[in-house]
Amino acid sequence: MISTIYIEEEIAEHPRSRAILERFPDAEIIACERYGEIFNRKSQNFRLQKKKPALILAKKHKGLVLSTPKQYGIGAEHNYYFSHMLNCLYDCRYCFLQGMFQSAHYVLFVNYEDFIDEMQSVLNQHNNDPVHFFSGYDCDSLALEPVTHFTTTFLPFFEKNPQSLLELRTKSTQTRSLLKREPIKNCVIAFSFTPDKIATALEHKAPPVEKRLQAIIDLQNAGWTIGLRFDPLIYTRDYIEEYSTLFNTLFSKLNPDLVHSVSLGGFRLPKDYYRKLEKLYPDEKLFSSPLIEENNSIGYPADIRNDMLTFCKNIILQHVPLEKFYPCHETI
Amino acid sequence: MITGPGKLNTAAAVTYHHARIGTQPADCWLNIGVAGHKTIPVGEARLINKITDKQSNATWYPQIIFKHNVSCAALITLDKPSATYQSSLFDMEASAFYQMAIRLGTAEMIHCLKVISDNASQTMSSVNASDVKQMITAQLETINDLVENLRTFSHELALINAEPEHYQTIIEQWHFTQSERRQLFRLLRQWTTRFSDQEVLSTIDRHKTAQAIIRTLEDQMKNTDFVIHD
Ligand code: SF4
Repeated sequence: MISTIYIEEEIAEHPRSRAILERFPDAEIIACERYGEIFNRKSQNFRLQKKKPALILAKKHKGLVLSTPKQYGIGAEHNYYFSHMLNCLYDCRYCFLQGMFQSAHYVLFVNYEDFIDEMQSVLNQHNNDPVHFFSGYDCDSLALEPVTHFTTTFLPFFEKNPQSLLELRTKSTQTRSLLKREPIKNCVIAFSFTPDKIATALEHKAPPVEKRLQAIIDLQNAGWTIGLRFDPLIYTRDYIEEYSTLFNTLFSKLNPDLVHSVSLGGFRLPKDYYRKLEKLYPDEKLFSSPLIEENNSIGYPADIRNDMLTFCKNIILQHVPLEKFYPCHETI
Repeated sequence: MITGPGKLNTAAAVTYHHARIGTQPADCWLNIGVAGHKTIPVGEARLINKITDKQSNATWYPQIIFKHNVSCAALITLDKPSATYQSSLFDMEASAFYQMAIRLGTAEMIHCLKVISDNASQTMSSVNASDVKQMITAQLETINDLVENLRTFSHELALINAEPEHYQTIIEQWHFTQSERRQLFRLLRQWTTRFSDQEVLSTIDRHKTAQAIIRTLEDQMKNTDFVIHD
């Protein structure tokens, strides 16, 4: 799967780097000074590179843990995000990473301990207040778990700090490492969903909806708390029918007591990212959706957006209490 | 195109080639040449995955996104010939070639293939022009494979970058401002994805102005059900 690995000289001997290199004995190894020499170079084509992404092993020096935008949250006042990886195994056509990054290569920051130290200082800063940490903003949290062993290192920190909470945002069914250990209360495995037909059309290489659902059922059976993320909501003529089917399927099979939170938000992207995506995939139907430009962002016009959000909210609230519901959009 | 030795000749050749044929971002650029190495046998080829310019210490990483049967290696570009053999390939052109080509093309489409002309036991003094010609000729199959691979991507890129059908015809027939052209470009692309079986020209042929055309295309989009999947 990975045939080229770039590695920053500084972390070439890091035990995590060595273990990964051992896992890919046939990969071409290329030394570099800083990952940005490869990752941030202009003139790369994300779409072409996505055909054969390389892995870049790097060290994150600054900005390891950052505050989330204001409207982002699932119940705490203090919210932070961090990315042990950049980019994703999957290839969702609406993904903003394609607009944000020059390169489709996967960057893995192997200095996990530095992230954990930074989280500790964030916790110290907030005394004993609840603090939520979100993973999966710049990547899928679990998709490369067999290679990264991310949860193995990070979960013990959260286990020791019950005032904190970790959200692992994912579409992946790579849950073995979680199922192998005792669940912890302050970790939410948050799965993103769109209805089946939309997922097939747009979420390339991601596990199909029914496999994600099975992963959730297995996790719940093992005692893990899960989250449901309907963000982005995607418009299509029959969205009412398609989203109704999705909600019915999910809520008929899940244990509502082990649903930590449900959030939703309409498809929208910063204008620059959207324009880049549109250029990369001119033949993609998503980009001929009824979309408008508003406040430097591209999204559905208010009527479509509000209809969809209201409709989804009404169904969701039939299954989960209001205090577990977190719309990502201010208009509902 | 034969560039002649050295960075200056190579950079000039890339620029000249671009100016002469008006290269596009979808075109492939391939630098084929010879290089020295400490131990790799003379006559073997290497696809370059890292280029360092010795003088400036600048580095580039050619993006190899295709399957290939040739081994890869890092290369250092020197300003002067050298008989100090190292564990990297060395030549006198690649950094200039890459640095110039990357300004004109797309990273995944720019590559260097080097044939080993000399090593610690068969030094450069024993190599002449006809040897070089022979060494390169012996690698024609590798070169062809490489070109075939790049051709596929070039074709894909050209399609991605292509203007939508009828765009030129329309802007020649009606007067569009720059911003209207951008709108039209986008609308025509959307039209192709949504109404592939409908002829756009017959929808707009009675229109008198660019604004009227844009309005019609927008209205048709707005008034037709949007279904994202088949
Ligand atoms: S799973 Fe998430 S991060 Fe990965 S491609 Fe899809 S939207 Fe992007």
